Amino acid sequence: MHDTIALKIELPKIPDIELVAIEGLERLSRHLGITDEKVGEARVLVTEAIINALEHAGEENPIVRVEFTMSKQELTIFVRDYGKGFQPSAIQSPDIGKKFGSKDKRGWGLHLMKSMSDDFRIESKETGTKITLIKKLT
Amino acid sequence: MEQEFTLTSEVQNGCLVIATSGYVNNKGGEAIAQEFSKHFDTGIRRVIINLAQSKVVNSIGMSFLIEIIERLEETGGKLVFTNLDPGVEKMLSIMGLFNFAGKEKTVPDALKSFQT
Repeated sequence: MHDTIALKIELPKIPDIELVAIEGLERLSRHLGITDEKVGEARVLVTEAIINALEHAGEENPIVRVEFTMSKQELTIFVRDYGKGFQPSAIQSPDIGKKFGSKDKRGWGLHLMKSMSDDFRIESKETGTKITLIKKLT
Repeated sequence: MEQEFTLTSEVQNGCLVIATSGYVNNKGGEAIAQEFSKHFDTGIRRVIINLAQSKVVNSIGMSFLIEIIERLEETGGKLVFTNLDPGVEKMLSIMGLFNFAGKEKTVPDALKSFQT
């Protein structure tokens, strides 16, 4: 068995395409014998990173590149879109209390990625956004 | 691969039990909220959402559930989640949903929690 395995996928912007990446993640996890608890948390990270990327992918080059590098110890998730980018620092952390009474109940993606990963990096500019997440699996 | 979203619902002891299957995305979240609204309008204030068959959810789908919690809070009702995948449970915890909603292992446990 390989110590580290990798999967690279290019996703078109179509509804629920993130499930293709989730299927890949689950297959890698099964191969390496990762626990259900860690797979569950990784599923959330992958889903949020991809739906965020798809939302910002724009129409000019509407694809999202996803790379998983996984060992028994660690998963690295890399997600890249080619949209116009955004200012991550301008996005406030959401607060459930403030969501009550507000029409906007969304805006949880970045907060979840930061909170559920062991390392979160984002680089966003006018040529697109790259998100790298590391999740410990032990 | 995770299936298309579907849900079933029934009222047990005055409590609405919604069981989902498949990916809870924006459409799934909206479908749950619509099903809830139908029963809320008839006076139901105790709700259980069983996510046993939904291991994949996203935050957009879950944001619809905030609306359900809000309406129940305003009217003295309560929502309880059951059969949560560990990842989904952690997600809802980080979102702060368990400050306003309950969680139980199973639907019978949730029904029992409403009686105490």
